[in-house]
Amino acid sequence: MTATGISFRGVSHTYRPPRGQPVLALQDVSLEVREREFLALLGPSGCGKSTLLYLLGGFLPVETGEITVAAKRVAGPGPDRGIVFQNFALYPWKTVRQNILYGLEKQRLPRAERERRAQELVELVHLRGFENSYPAQLSGGMKQRVAIARTLAVDPAILLMDEPFGALDAQTRALMHEELLAIIRRRPKTVVFVTHDVREAVYLADRVAVMSARPGRIKEIVDTSFAGERGAEIAGTHAFAEKVEHIWGLVRNEAILAQERREP
Amino acid sequence: MAGVSAIGQALLRWASILGVLALWQGFAEAHVVSAFLLPAFSTVVVRLYHDVVSGDVILGIALTLYRAFAGFALAAVAGIAIGVMIARVPPMRWFFDPLVSIGLPMPKIAFLPVFILWFGVFDASKILMVAFSAVFPVVVSAWAAADGVEHVLLWSALSLGASRAQLLWEIALPSSLPQIFTGLQVAMPIALIVEIISEMAMGGEGLGGSIMTDMRFADSPGVFAGILAIAIVGAGLVRAMELIRRRLLVWHAEASAA
Repeated sequence: MTATGISFRGVSHTYRPPRGQPVLALQDVSLEVREREFLALLGPSGCGKSTLLYLLGGFLPVETGEITVAAKRVAGPGPDRGIVFQNFALYPWKTVRQNILYGLEKQRLPRAERERRAQELVELVHLRGFENSYPAQLSGGMKQRVAIARTLAVDPAILLMDEPFGALDAQTRALMHEELLAIIRRRPKTVVFVTHDVREAVYLADRVAVMSARPGRIKEIVDTSFAGERGAEIAGTHAFAEKVEHIWGLVRNEAILAQERREP
Repeated sequence: MAGVSAIGQALLRWASILGVLALWQGFAEAHVVSAFLLPAFSTVVVRLYHDVVSGDVILGIALTLYRAFAGFALAAVAGIAIGVMIARVPPMRWFFDPLVSIGLPMPKIAFLPVFILWFGVFDASKILMVAFSAVFPVVVSAWAAADGVEHVLLWSALSLGASRAQLLWEIALPSSLPQIFTGLQVAMPIALIVEIISEMAMGGEGLGGSIMTDMRFADSPGVFAGILAIAIVGAGLVRAMELIRRRLLVWHAEASAA
């Protein structure tokens, strides 16, 4: 049993483009993510929600404030925090099996054990028969399943997901929601899930942190746990519709603000 | 093209070449110009056949390819290393960027006298001349490729436990390979061209050297046979590069589409 509580304290971040003025992307964000919680970060595009995730991942340096995982300060990427990106980020020169094996090869495991785990993951994400296909030969949904399997292979306690289903069509996205929930039911994780889709956030998450337009701040944290129920069980209920309505109300103004800023 | 068989398609592709050869043969047989100025295609083919049987052409091809490949290999290794460093190390960029912009479009063969002066008239100067000419497209393609590596690929590898050194070898290099290989495909014919020009200018046998020798002996079928051999070797090299590319980049979308 490892502690995986995540805590953001007073985190600000300034984005400095190669040309042009520095932009304050995040301002004084404080947030706690509980162990094995599914937290959605929701906000309009450009609000810094992905930046917050990259800071937690250790891909960007934390300049102001502090981020801790299990009471330890984040100082770089690590296999305790696996990440899944919107555009899959698969290694196109590796087959499905080789992609999933990449992280396992970095661990001191016997070859047979690595192969066994890779095969297990191939089955977990329903890609049996495609082990030797290259990513270019797969559909978008299949690619994202490979990416999820690759990340799960090193068994991270925390799963970071950066709009993972944003590049998929609506039907595939709905199926992927079911798959993701089934996967974390079998392998419980702390999940931080970035999205701009209100329904997706309410459907998947225990709590939704709504962010303001740039500079990103936590505007409100909404409990969406529905007494532990998630996914299809709750999607049709009145309570679900109310939550979506409430959160949409919070996001709407921010989205309008974000849009006005983009068209000066 | 519907209704055209595979053989028909192949014939169509060869039609222009066969047409030119037929015109050549017909023109020579009509004796409009003397056989010295334009020996018949059939004469040239027979001559090439004899040169192959005697081993002269084989030796020439071997010498030319040895020097062209040696220069090409130098250009490939140095070009990839320089290109990647330019992309990753800012001082290298400041140093090489202006040099590459001047050097890339310049006909490097202008340095031939300098190379002869510095490195003599034997293999070393030819190999270095080839390397110097062929390195530029490799540098440019490796530079662009290394600049364009998607940062999410690097990030995901880092979070899976890769070290900084592993990032370069296991992620940046393979993901750059399609673009780098395109640079190598440009560099290969350059290597052959520069090698043959160098042989023509400074001797030393090989395919270029032997057609100059044939010219001095007023042996015009020999000159044309040499040109034919060069054309065949060049086409073979380009084809070979395409096959290697398809083998090496079997994962690339272009390969699975074909």
